[in-house]
Amino acid sequence: MQEQFLAQAQQQVNAPDIAYGAIAPVLIVLGFACLSVLVEAFVAKERRWGLQIGVAAAAIVLAGASLAAFISSNDAAGGPTGKTGVTTLAGAVSVDKPALFLWGTLLALGVLALLLIADRTVGGDMQTEVFPLFLFALGGMMVFCAANNLLTMFIALEVLSLPLYLMCGLARKRRLISQEAAVKYFLLGAFASAFFLYGLALLYGYAGSVKLADIATAAVGTDRSDTLLFGGLGLLVVGLLFKGSVGPFHTWTPDVYQGAPTSVTAFMAACTKVAAFGGILRVLTVAFQSTQWEWRGVLWGVAIASMAIGAIFGLTQTDVKRMIAYSSVAHAGFLLVGAIAMNTDGLSSTLFYLLAYGFTTIASFGVISLVRSGSGEATDLSQWAGLAKRSPLLAGVFTFLLLALAGIPLTSGFIGKFVVFSAALRDGMAPLVVIALVFSAVAAFFYLRVVVLMYFSEPAEDGPTVSVPGAFTTVAITLGTFVTLLLGVLPGFVLNWASSGGFLS
Amino acid sequence: MIAHASAPRPDTAQLLAGDPFWLIVVKTLGIFVLLVVMTLFMIWFERRVVARMQHRPGPNRVGPAGLLQSLADGLKLAFKEDIRPVLADKWVFFLAPVISCVPAFLAFAVMPLGGEVDLFGVHTALQLADLPVGVLVVLACSSVGVYGIVLSGWSSGSPYPLLGALRSAAQVISYEIAMGLSIVAVILSAHSLSTAEIVNAQQDFWYGIVLIPSFLIYLVSMVGETNRAPFDLAEAESELVGGFHTEYSSLKFALFFLAEYINMVTVSAFATTLFLGGWHAPFFLSEVGGGVLNSGWFGPLWFIAKMMVLLFAFVWLRGTLPRMRYDQFMKLGWKVLVPVSLVWIVLVVCVRALQAGGQTTLNVSIIVGIVVLAILVLVMIIPDRKPASDPNRVMVTGSGYPLPPLDLKVPKAPKRQRRSPVAQAAEPEPTALTPSGVAASTSKEASDGGV
Amino acid sequence: MLEAFEAAAPSSGLDPYVPLVALFVLAAAFAVFSVAAAPLVGPRRYNKAKLDAYECGIEPSPQPIVGGGRMPVAYYLTAMLFILFDIEMVFLYPFAVTSDQLGFFGVVEIVLFIATVGFAYAYVWRRGGLDWN
Repeated sequence: MQEQFLAQAQQQVNAPDIAYGAIAPVLIVLGFACLSVLVEAFVAKERRWGLQIGVAAAAIVLAGASLAAFISSNDAAGGPTGKTGVTTLAGAVSVDKPALFLWGTLLALGVLALLLIADRTVGGDMQTEVFPLFLFALGGMMVFCAANNLLTMFIALEVLSLPLYLMCGLARKRRLISQEAAVKYFLLGAFASAFFLYGLALLYGYAGSVKLADIATAAVGTDRSDTLLFGGLGLLVVGLLFKGSVGPFHTWTPDVYQGAPTSVTAFMAACTKVAAFGGILRVLTVAFQSTQWEWRGVLWGVAIASMAIGAIFGLTQTDVKRMIAYSSVAHAGFLLVGAIAMNTDGLSSTLFYLLAYGFTTIASFGVISLVRSGSGEATDLSQWAGLAKRSPLLAGVFTFLLLALAGIPLTSGFIGKFVVFSAALRDGMAPLVVIALVFSAVAAFFYLRVVVLMYFSEPAEDGPTVSVPGAFTTVAITLGTFVTLLLGVLPGFVLNWASSGGFLS
Repeated sequence: MIAHASAPRPDTAQLLAGDPFWLIVVKTLGIFVLLVVMTLFMIWFERRVVARMQHRPGPNRVGPAGLLQSLADGLKLAFKEDIRPVLADKWVFFLAPVISCVPAFLAFAVMPLGGEVDLFGVHTALQLADLPVGVLVVLACSSVGVYGIVLSGWSSGSPYPLLGALRSAAQVISYEIAMGLSIVAVILSAHSLSTAEIVNAQQDFWYGIVLIPSFLIYLVSMVGETNRAPFDLAEAESELVGGFHTEYSSLKFALFFLAEYINMVTVSAFATTLFLGGWHAPFFLSEVGGGVLNSGWFGPLWFIAKMMVLLFAFVWLRGTLPRMRYDQFMKLGWKVLVPVSLVWIVLVVCVRALQAGGQTTLNVSIIVGIVVLAILVLVMIIPDRKPASDPNRVMVTGSGYPLPPLDLKVPKAPKRQRRSPVAQAAEPEPTALTPSGVAASTSKEASDGGV
Repeated sequence: MLEAFEAAAPSSGLDPYVPLVALFVLAAAFAVFSVAAAPLVGPRRYNKAKLDAYECGIEPSPQPIVGGGRMPVAYYLTAMLFILFDIEMVFLYPFAVTSDQLGFFGVVEIVLFIATVGFAYAYVWRRGGLDWN
């Protein structure tokens, strides 16, 4: 034992190679997050809000620019189709095509969410700490999508989760319910992290390594006990599914979506889902593809459960934010259908679905934040009755977004569902696709219920007013709606990008 | 057999690995007895020295010069009634003195008391164990000891011990940061966490001299770490009766007392090991007779002499300095010792890189170091800003309990009939936080506005 | 001399942690014995007041401390900060041991690391997280 220690001490430690160009977007986001903390510490309170918006916006813009620069140089380096990507930081981070796509998605959705957060004219007035927290969460999500070993993944999971817990509790107006949401999210999230960590430990015990590729190698042609492998996989996936608010692990979703400030909910709903499914896709594809016949049945069940829970409980909701929360559970089920179709189409369709769903969700929450009564947001559905008669434009936009969530043609939601289901069909999962179609139809019902309520009911006397949106919210909603429409009409460009390459380990 | 100071030294860990089990038992007993005797001696020593400083004789009746006084006190304690308050948590109350006492003993296991000697015919080193993580063992033991304090206060079921325990725990953990950071520079120089190797690395110069900021920080934090005057806020007699051990009596109380004095001995021994060259003779003496003073049984002599100097400093401080106020004390720990340690570590790291690296390395590390220094110094120079008077601010300290915001409105119990949200906002609600109100806040129907 | 030593002292094959365990057993035995012996050796004279919480002679305050008692939040904050800095320390130690092998790369990394923690520290300081009143 002593000798082991001494031997370790003598080992030469080599500095890992770092492809700074590839990870520049992450470095920029996290660096600006640190800067943002300093602003928080040293700038006077009155000037903080504006400055923080500037820092956060600069972070996303610069990160986007460096991402674009890397993509173009990466494509130029590998001929017409481009290199598949770079593995850097001693193999801890893999910047491959899906990671680049997810980073792009996260940054784009981050801009929209930032716009909603930054608008103080409607709901806002959170502590300025929301900006550094936002940047840290975004940085964590980006690392999470690209993490190539489980330990990095866990750190990223914490980096993205802890700020989100805090952000949920930042509401000034509806403090109790907001703090309740934060505590619930924190406690359940801590459980999920623990599950993830136990799974990690078991997998390490199985493969002797936390690298995804090593786990894949160990799982092929070995006589090791499968208990460790599948126990570890199960626990690990539970942690991931929790973050993606899938299936029976969704219990936090409605409460947290309802309690958190609406702009934070928008960020969480869109970006966390992107990050979580990015992680799920990578883990399943890179580490567990060879054993897919053993575990796919279970994930079938989870996907069905998620779709059923989302669609059926969504029907009974009387609160708009809770309704969207259950809709996100149903969507998580659809996403999982794509994620377990273990082929390239499954990957690209899930990526596309994430992007489309993210834009639609953020725009919907932007609309929700505008419908207000005297004491805050009017999220109760009964208050939305006859809204179309007061503000037809808003009702029209919201109707469009709901149709996109339901998956009606000419919206991005339709294309997303179409590509996911066709990928699943191609992988021989016809029964699952049929079930998914049924639940899509059920879910469509509750979206339409809201539409009917807005258009064909008499407005309540003391009903909510629709506030005039600030410039930021207007831009966010317009962009989100526009992208929803664009992806519904011309999905080709994004689909091409999403299917440009697979994972690199 | 004499190990010359400059001769190639066999690895202490290997040397100790050769110990037969009976020798381990002997050494274990030796350390145990040493610590208990040191405690008895220190109590007497402290009382005598403080008495001397106050122009009075001190204990001088029991035994020669009162030397047996503390033994007599200890025996007397054993025959006192053992009281357990009715509100106390039985098992934790029982366990807390044990938790407090055991790590105190344990930390001494890695102290190198001396170099190589022949002990009962076996060639060995005067050290119980030389672990590759020796420094961490000492820090871990002092951390675990905090549990004893916290649990004793919590389990007593009485306000004074609880407050004392909280203060004490906050104090120990605050100063443990400073202590741990001050050690980093030593490890940077010695490249080892093994205590024996740290001592060996100090053959030519003591780290207490070359790393004097670290040494000073360690000295301050070791007093804070052991809850000793002028930092003995946890047992401030005028404020908190006896602190965390107010409710303890008899041998349980004696165990806390024992733990406190052993901790004093341990941190002094640790300081000797890390900064004062351990068992090495002072410089001017190490060359005498070709290093004979550095060998064999001279080692523990030097070690104990250096330790006693530090222990005397403990007593001296207690005899001369008044107790600090709690906020001053925490300010010293968090706003002076921690940032100074961090700056110092960065400096040491940069200097070492300069020594090792080439020209470009030199420039870059100077720049990086200056940037970090600038930030840290900036943090220290900028005066504390008064907290802005935010109307929504929730008081955290003050009365000690978080107060709900003044405009807190608690929704009424769940109801089917919905009031207009506008009216709800305008109407001032009573702020009583009834259980039904709390239940209502979790009900989704009731929380659609104005919560 | 080294060779002589190696020949003279073959490893007894004991784990280096055995002495630590031995000392632990001895110390624990001593402590448990003391705690257990105290009620047996000492006298026992029942007095209701003696078993109350000690509050300098006044009637003890009725609120339960054990279990249901609440602690001031400021201590919680200190505990959180402690964990933060303790983890920083835990990262600094392995770096300090291997700093020469890590070379320049290690220096940059550790300086960045200290700076990152420094940002959070500056924030806590400026926002009054280190103040006691």
